[in-house]
Amino acid sequence: MSWLDPAALAFALLAIPILLLYLLRMQRREHPITSTLLWRQVLPDREANTLWQRLRRNLLLFLQLAALAALVFALTRPFVLTTPSLRGSLIVLLDASASMRATDVAPSRFDAARTQVREIISHMSASDRMQLVLVDDAPHALTALTDDRVALITALDQAIAGVRAARWVQAVSLAGAAATAENVRDATIVVVSDGANLDVPAFAALRTPVQFLPVGVSSDNLAVTTLRLRRRTRDIAAFVRVTNFGAQEQRARLTLAVDDARSDMRDLIVAAGASTEFTVDGLPLDTLSVHAHLDAAEGNALAEDDDAYAVAAVRERRRTVLVGSSNRFLEQALTALPGWDVTRAATPPDAQQPFDLYVLDGFTASVPSGAGALIIGVAPNFAPTSCFTDTRFLRADAHPVLEAVDWRPVAVQGAQRFDTPPWLQPVLLSEGGPLLYAGVDAEQRRIMLLPFSLNRSDLPLQIAFPILVANAAEWLAPAQGLDLPADVQPGEVVPLPANARVEMPDGAQRSAGPSGFAETMQPGMYLVHAGAVNSAFAVNFTDDGESALTPSGPLTLGTAGAAGSSGAETAGRAEIWPWLAVAALLLLTIEWWMI
Amino acid sequence: MLTESILSRLRGLKLSTARRRRGATAGERRSTRRGRSVEFADYRAYTPGDDPRRIDWNVFARHERAVVKLFEEEEDLAVHILIDQSASMFPQPFPQPFPQPFPQPGDFTPSKFTCSVQLTLLLGYAALAAGDALTVQLSTGRSFGPRRGLAAFAELTRFLEAAHTSTPNAHLALAGWLKSCTQGARPGLCFLLSDLFDEQHGWLPGFNALGAAGFDLRVLHVLSPDELDPQLSGDVRLRDVETGDTQDLSIDESLLATYRRRLQEWSDEIATACRSRSGRYFLINSGQPAEHIVLHDLRKAGWLE
Repeated sequence: MSWLDPAALAFALLAIPILLLYLLRMQRREHPITSTLLWRQVLPDREANTLWQRLRRNLLLFLQLAALAALVFALTRPFVLTTPSLRGSLIVLLDASASMRATDVAPSRFDAARTQVREIISHMSASDRMQLVLVDDAPHALTALTDDRVALITALDQAIAGVRAARWVQAVSLAGAAATAENVRDATIVVVSDGANLDVPAFAALRTPVQFLPVGVSSDNLAVTTLRLRRRTRDIAAFVRVTNFGAQEQRARLTLAVDDARSDMRDLIVAAGASTEFTVDGLPLDTLSVHAHLDAAEGNALAEDDDAYAVAAVRERRRTVLVGSSNRFLEQALTALPGWDVTRAATPPDAQQPFDLYVLDGFTASVPSGAGALIIGVAPNFAPTSCFTDTRFLRADAHPVLEAVDWRPVAVQGAQRFDTPPWLQPVLLSEGGPLLYAGVDAEQRRIMLLPFSLNRSDLPLQIAFPILVANAAEWLAPAQGLDLPADVQPGEVVPLPANARVEMPDGAQRSAGPSGFAETMQPGMYLVHAGAVNSAFAVNFTDDGESALTPSGPLTLGTAGAAGSSGAETAGRAEIWPWLAVAALLLLTIEWWMI
Repeated sequence: MLTESILSRLRGLKLSTARRRRGATAGERRSTRRGRSVEFADYRAYTPGDDPRRIDWNVFARHERAVVKLFEEEEDLAVHILIDQSASMFPQPFPQPFPQPFPQPGDFTPSKFTCSVQLTLLLGYAALAAGDALTVQLSTGRSFGPRRGLAAFAELTRFLEAAHTSTPNAHLALAGWLKSCTQGARPGLCFLLSDLFDEQHGWLPGFNALGAAGFDLRVLHVLSPDELDPQLSGDVRLRDVETGDTQDLSIDESLLATYRRRLQEWSDEIATACRSRSGRYFLINSGQPAEHIVLHDLRKAGWLE
């Protein structure tokens, strides 16, 4: 319920003179009488009625105050939002985002929204038509524009709320197109939503009247907004952030489970609109997954954001050997690479313990099959044809090793031009010739060749150098495990090898398709088995926009040019002051009758 | 003053009494003595010494037994009128001027004492006209009589005029006053005009004293219209004009109904007490004209014949 004129509440101060008059009225007037004998004798009879007498006097005061309250309340012009009587062609955009799962209105906002739509359907006349569009992460037309109420009700009953944010731009485009189709007349777009993440500007371009029907009453919600794991030398640390999106301080209990075994439990007090963060140290290094669960007795309308999952990333160690380098910058760049073990060697190691990456700085050596090699300065198998000194940057290919590498400030004193095989192609050219070669030979060895000595260039001093080294390491000796994203949103496609077996959070078994795995609507842990590689990824509902449940209240959507927009909005407001005025009159009548 | 029509009607009436009293002088009342009047009373057997003229010869001829006829002895009757002159008998402020001329119905509402004085005038006139010995006693101690004959009526009027302007009892002990009235008084008809408001001792001890002294009690319970039907409402503080006591009340219709019920019970209680002492009780509304009360109500009730 809302008020059009809340300032009228000031009239409530009239209660003060009423109370004063009532107190003054209690001063008795003295009346001389010949004898009080009989009046005293009626007192015993009166004693039994004393309580009623007091109540009756208090009842009069109560009636007067109640009448005043009703009048003041009427002056504030309270109104309730009602489902207006809509006519013509209705394009109903039903918000099915995650916030619509909130239970601040029983049983949920989505059910309340469906009830409103059902009410509109029940008031449709024979000439009215409706199209139902479910707005999730994409708009889904549940029905065509139809006057078939049964079909509409059936589609409405089958609709469910999703776990992602709604994308209103596409939905508004779809609704706008449907409303302006040739055979559609008197169209109205009806938006039934809580207003969370509602893209109001997206409606501005519409030339069709828009009716907004709000749902939701409260913003109280707690959420686990962050769960991150950090692998350290001796343990794993979990970072947790809990956010209170409501307007009141809330208490909650957070439980942290490591591989389904409870590890930590703590009670939290989170101020309104604030977050509380903490780190749990000492988790074992062999931890696979961590599950954070939030329990709040009240003020937590959305359950979907009470759980968060994280996978402890299993990083395989890769090995590289730096042969013959006397360049300190190169050695530092390699050492700084995460997940890499760097070995220095004066001569090429034997093939009994192959490395993933061979960095040959001015050295010639054979590289095992399947390994990668970064060759600097010399090319043992490729004969140099000439030298050049015009090394001004000309162009660079879009090769992975050059990603984010700015070569333009790099100066090279002189480089050699090689006669390279077809699989080794220049990827960076200067005015004089190529400055970088890359390719994969027939034995699946990935080779990258720098045709100049680092000592004759300022490349190691440039910011591009560590980036180039990191890119080269990843390209030359890529990780053998699955490259899974750290955080997956519900519905997001996870790139998995085809036919990789996935164990869902509910225990069901699925197989990945050719383009990855898309059945990620359930938040939780997903175990992946791809050949000999086992891995996992976590799907989390972490969307602050959806967790912030603050209902928007009445909104005017669309443009002023959309005829009937404001009128439609007004039509959904029912003022109740006449009823209050009648109640006040009734109370005054009763009070007058009782005096 | 009383109009001639009222007086002429009163002259034909006399105060009725159930008991026969032994009078002091010859009068118009039957006495407990058997006398020589023309009113036959009874027979008794002839005994030597009886006047042979009183033998009923018809009975003797029929039954051959000599019986003597007994006749009523007519003597005067002692009539006492006791007037309560306590403060409760007056309106506030008091006193009111003595009603001159005699008010007509609807002129104004006299006080209870004024009404009592008017009733005394009428009853006293009837008593004097009947040759009864009239005594009027006020609660202030002043008294009139005993006087006999209409010649004393003017004196009675002056007495009552003077009484009306005198200071009333600030607080009257009803029982003590009635008891004092019986001392040295000749038993007879006793009219008590009072509102019977005595919170301390009540009216019953006074009734007992009058009954024990042999008085034929006639209680004229005088209450004002305000007492019979109070016109009060809301939150009031009642102050007793005699005792000064106050009583806070929130008066509504239900309380007034309770008051009326209690008043009726009180009246019935007094009436029962009177009947048990061979007396009579009549509730007077002081707002009613006195001559209507006497010539109509009391006559209809058999108080005058």
